[in-house]
Formats: sequence, structure tokens, C-alpha cells
Amino acid sequence: MRSIHTARAGASARLSAGLSAGLGAAVRLASSVLIGTLLLTACGERSGSARIDSEFRGSALPEPFPAPDFTLLDTDGAEFRFREETAGYLTMLFFGYTHCPDICPVHMANLAAVLGDLLYEQRSRVKVVFVTTDPERDTPAVVREWLDRFDRSFIGLIGDLESVNEIQASFRLPPAVRQEMQSGEHLVGHASQVVAITSDGLVRVFYPSGVRQADWAEDLPRLLEVGR
Amino acid sequence: MNWWCAAQGVPWAWTWRPYPGVWLFIALVAVLHWTVGGGRSVEARRRPWFWVGLALLWVSLDWPLGALGAGYLASIHMVQFVLIALIVPPLLLSGVPRETFERLDASPAGRGVIRPLTHPLVALLLFALVVVVTHWPAVVDGLMATQLGSFALDMAWLGAAMLFWWPVVVPVPARPRFTYPAKVAYLILTTVVMTAPYIFLTFAELPFYATYELAPPVGGLSARVDQRIAGLVMRIGGGAVLWTAAGIVFYRWYRSENAPVG
Repeated sequence: MRSIHTARAGASARLSAGLSAGLGAAVRLASSVLIGTLLLTACGERSGSARIDSEFRGSALPEPFPAPDFTLLDTDGAEFRFREETAGYLTMLFFGYTHCPDICPVHMANLAAVLGDLLYEQRSRVKVVFVTTDPERDTPAVVREWLDRFDRSFIGLIGDLESVNEIQASFRLPPAVRQEMQSGEHLVGHASQVVAITSDGLVRVFYPSGVRQADWAEDLPRLLEVGR
Repeated sequence: MNWWCAAQGVPWAWTWRPYPGVWLFIALVAVLHWTVGGGRSVEARRRPWFWVGLALLWVSLDWPLGALGAGYLASIHMVQFVLIALIVPPLLLSGVPRETFERLDASPAGRGVIRPLTHPLVALLLFALVVVVTHWPAVVDGLMATQLGSFALDMAWLGAAMLFWWPVVVPVPARPRFTYPAKVAYLILTTVVMTAPYIFLTFAELPFYATYELAPPVGGLSARVDQRIAGLVMRIGGGAVLWTAAGIVFYRWYRSENAPVG
């Protein structure tokens, strides 16, 4: 077991603020607190620490749960029904935004690099789904252009922030929180982890910021085997 | 405010940042050279070398090179290495008058510490050790995370490199057995030492340094490409410096062999 991610006190504070601002169901709130306190990191901050399971280099859930279903629009403007579109695939789901200065591009770049190393047969069984937490600036064209820098096959989804936060809560992730800057721009504090959903439709592992290419290279083939 | 460049984990911005520790260090070296180092008495022809070396040292430690190399790009970290370990030391040493070295050599510290440490075999082994250790991923990731660690790494490079270049550049103490051909071999052997980091940086499938792999991206350079460029900087840049130095020594050897007698 080793630590790759240490949550800062500020992250927990933002989480509390975000939670009080408003998720509907108390059960969702409780589960968000449970995992989110460990894992939330706002962009622009250094990473923190999470438990690393012995089987995977990410934080494996002791009890995997079925991936919740949701529908958002993809970068072509078409409806993307998550469960239907990802059924039978290993799906790496990430909530972030294209203006993110650190965690999001590092996650996407590292995932893309290691996916490029997989055999074609393996690669064709993986989908990467990116959901923006900054719909104000992340138009479909912006998301598409940004994702194409990493991998043209990455799927970008856009929806209003309230819907996206509800989806995050259903995945036991904390809500995204907008942070105004003095310059007039804004950052978005958001969950820093990639969610791994295996081909049997179960959410199994969370990968916080700080996960390296060596970790992905170790875990992706294993995740592909789970649930087959 | 930070006093020395270190990995901060914040997004890179082309906004100037002060690093007073770097200024203080550069000023200290300049003052020492000018006062006790005999900088005023060095012959005019060689005087600029020291100041060019000091200017390059400043450039390599201060913003933007120092900051980029400490926390963002492995390739810039390697440019710093080439500057601090391979280019700056011979320039600094060339700009110090012979009398200063003679005075130093005659002192107890000179006889007890500097003489043994600048013996070519010892200096080469020390330099090789520092090169290998300071490019080890755990060491780099551990040191670059703090200002003190980053400072220690820079000083390790500079210190080991000064000892390494000493027997090539400094005529004191006299080492009759360390002839021109031996110096050429010494320099060429060092290119072999630097082959190890070059190979693991250039041909590795995965990024070695967490510091640079997980750093906020700069200029769209992927971690893998950045690492390969770092390896090439080490190989091509470092190799070019050492082969040039070997060429200069060879030329001096040639001239000494063909000098008119009487």
C-alpha cells in the first residue's frame, strides 16, 4: 500500500461549501462526503493522498457499485446515453474542464499516452469519457478541440452544471465549485479522480491526481480483465 | 516569496518572479572573486571568462530557466545541468589568477582537502557519482520538491563539477603525470559516464520523474517527449562541451609538441 495523493484542508473546506450549496439527496451528500473528503482537489492546487489498494494502484472500492445512468450531449450535439454507449467497455470517466491548468490536462495526457501503448485489441475495449464542469466556457467545439490534443477518440460531454453535479453525486463524487479570481476569470474546483468502470458496468476504482503513467500501464490491462 | 527555485505545483506563468537566494549567491561569488580571489589581478585576456561563467550560472539558476527546470520540464533541468556542471566551472576557473591557486594550494585546506579531491581519479569518480545520483528519479523527485533540496542539488552539481574541471584547467598543484593525452582521455571517459542517464532518459517507455510527469503542462510538451529531449540535451549538449574541451586540450598538446626550441 502506498500513498500518492494528500488532500489539503482547503479542499475539505471547499467540499463543505459545495455540499451546503446544494445537492439534493441526503444519501448522496453522505456518500460524497465519505469519498470526496478524501479525494477532492481543486485545480491549481497540489495533490494529496488516497488509499492504494493492493490489487490496483488506484483506490479500489471495497464494494463496487453499478455505474449510474445519465444522458448528456456529446460534442456533436447528439445524445449520449452513458450506460448504453459504454456497455461492455472499460470506461474511464472524468469530470473536469478545459481551462483547468494542471490536473485535467495531466490526467488526459497520461491516459492517452498509456492507451497508445496498449495492443489494438485492448485499446478498442476502452472508452474515455470527459464531462465538463465548466459549461459556460466549454462549448462543444472547445471541448472537442481540447480533447483532440490528447486523443481523437476521447468522448466529451456537456450539460448544465446542476445536472453534472447530480451525476457526480451519483458516482459518489463531490460537486464542482466555481471559484472567482481577481482577474475576472474563474477556476472550477472539481473532483480530481478518474473513475474506472469495468466492462460489467461496475464502478471499481478511483484514480486521484498524482496517478502516473506507470500506474495506468499496470492497471489498465488488469481492469480490462475484470468483469469479462 | 521563494528564495530558490523549486517545484511548486502551480501552473506555469511567464510572469517574472524574484529569487533573492540566487542573487545573494551570485553576489557572494562575485565579491569573493573580486576581494580574496584575486579577480583584480588576473591578466586582462582571461578576466572576462570568470564573469561570463558567473553570468551563465546566474541565468541557469534564476527565473525563468531555474523555475522551469526545477518544477516543470526535465529538458530544461538538463539544460541547467549542462550549464552548471559542464560550461560554468571551466569558465570560472579560467578567470582566476594562478597566484590565487598557488596561495590556496599552500594553505592547510589546500593541502589537506583540495589536493586530494582534485586528484583526477578522485575528481572523476566523485563527478560520476554525483551525475548518477542526482539523476536518480527518487533523488530528483525528493529534492526538487523543496527549495533547500533544489539548492542542494544545484550546489552538488557545481561543487562536483568544479573539482572535476580543476585538474584540466588549473595548473596548481602541478601533476606531471596528468599529461595532455591523459586529460583528453579523462574528458572522453566522462562522455561515457554521461551515457547512462542519456540511455535511460531517451529510451525509457515511461516518464522517470514524477516531478515533471505530473507538473502543470508547459507549451504542450508531453512528459515523454520532454524526457527524450532531456536525454538528447545530456548527450548532444554535454557531449559537445566535453569533446570541444578535449579538442582544445589536444590543440594545446599539439602546440606544445611543435613549439620552437630555444
